[in-house]
Amino acid sequence: MSGFGSLLWRDLVLMFRQGGSLGAAVSFMLAFVVMIPLAIGPDQATLSRLAPGLMWLALLLAVLLTTERMFQQDHEDGSLDLLATGRLPLELVCLAKAAAHWLSVSLPLSVVAAPVGILLNLDTPRILPVMLAMVTGSLALSLLASVAGAVTAGLRRGGLVVPLLVLPLYVPVLIFGIAASTGDMNPSGATPALLVLMAIALVSLVIQPWAAAAALRAYFR
Amino acid sequence: MDTTSPHFAYVLASYVLSGAVLLGLLLWTVVRKRNLDAEARRVLKSGE
Amino acid sequence: MQTFEILANPNFFMRVARAILPWGWAATVITLGAGLYLALFTSPADYQQGETVRIMYVHVPAAWMALFIYVLMAVSSAVALIFRHPLADAAAKAAAPFGAAFCFLSLATGSIWGKPMWGTWWVWDARLTSMFVLMLLYLGYMAVWRAFDDPHRAAGLARVVALVGVINIPIVKFSVDWWNTLHQPASVVKMSGPAIDPAMLWPLLLMALGYTLLFICLHLMAIGNEITARKIRAARLRAVGAH
Repeated sequence: MSGFGSLLWRDLVLMFRQGGSLGAAVSFMLAFVVMIPLAIGPDQATLSRLAPGLMWLALLLAVLLTTERMFQQDHEDGSLDLLATGRLPLELVCLAKAAAHWLSVSLPLSVVAAPVGILLNLDTPRILPVMLAMVTGSLALSLLASVAGAVTAGLRRGGLVVPLLVLPLYVPVLIFGIAASTGDMNPSGATPALLVLMAIALVSLVIQPWAAAAALRAYFR
Repeated sequence: MDTTSPHFAYVLASYVLSGAVLLGLLLWTVVRKRNLDAEARRVLKSGE
Repeated sequence: MQTFEILANPNFFMRVARAILPWGWAATVITLGAGLYLALFTSPADYQQGETVRIMYVHVPAAWMALFIYVLMAVSSAVALIFRHPLADAAAKAAAPFGAAFCFLSLATGSIWGKPMWGTWWVWDARLTSMFVLMLLYLGYMAVWRAFDDPHRAAGLARVVALVGVINIPIVKFSVDWWNTLHQPASVVKMSGPAIDPAMLWPLLLMALGYTLLFICLHLMAIGNEITARKIRAARLRAVGAH
């Protein structure tokens, strides 16, 4: 397990040194939020209604933008070959990668998103449910992204392939994420959707190590 | 089949579209087979 | 010895395919001809949908095929992953464009049906949304095959994509149904009721059988094409002395 821990630590340090941090997450969210009133108009009621969905889209976008680099750097400089021949099973290597991505990209973004949503006239009582749903959902997003990242690890121009691979996997996360974020509008409340979201995250947790490792093995044959 | 029905054009369009796409698939497969077979003959002959 | 096995297997397949194909094409033409005749001329117009019900005979089989072919692709990928069968990857790869075409047809004919029935070309209804996502899965799978020059590498990655996709399909179906009931009450006319008249069931089944036979014939040819392409590649590699 110490191999897992040190790999996770290495990836986190690398991410933070290269500018991935809470500050970067806030900056990204702010930059995204400015675009929204410019795109759909500054009407307060419309913005308030769309705010949870837009915050989710910002999260999806940020995860998509970082998916490609997840394994690519290590594949290019050869450290992935070292990791594959090391003692740590490739499955756990992939899990560590996903965990590092979650801690450095998805988690900061989903914590920051709801407060930034105030700029979009997000109702204050809704901040906590949105944050809770996004933190849960972001776990699934990072896990699924790492599968697509592993598939496109050796692809130079993977740019448009990554969204095509990963967005269909995000459909359930988005649906239940939105439902859990806006739960007070449903008769049954937010809890069922949040539970399903957790189930999706758990299913992704089971599939991810196997799928990502199988994809990476295709590169080592 | 009532050709004077107001929706006849829609029915026709869906059948024509299906036929065109399926025929296109058939054509694509046949042409690809012809090209590949010709290439295989060329390559395998020159390889010997 | 092993080389012999790998060589013998595709050649055996080619022989079997060559023997089956004439019969397959004959059966396809007969079934599709009978199905089209029943669908266009003898089957009655629906009391509610009028003549547009005839669109169902090309729409529903296409949707069935789109789902069936994806499952076939996933099974082939699993076989390739577990047993390293040399033909399984070729079967999965060859099936994808046909699946995508059937998926497109089901979406397009559904859209054509929707215009007179719903008054609009597109509705974000549960089934349409699920089929749309299935189309994206097909496109993603084909994109992986296209993206890599090395067929072995592409095959290994495509297997993962197909298998993750097949796990994803039921989850998408479930979540989209749930999402749809949340947003709009089921008021639209459904294309297929549970109790369907035999006069409509027969053309539907014949068309479905015809589509399946057509796919089998096309698929056999396309697998043959993949084998030929593989042979060409192997011969080229041998010619330049690489492996």
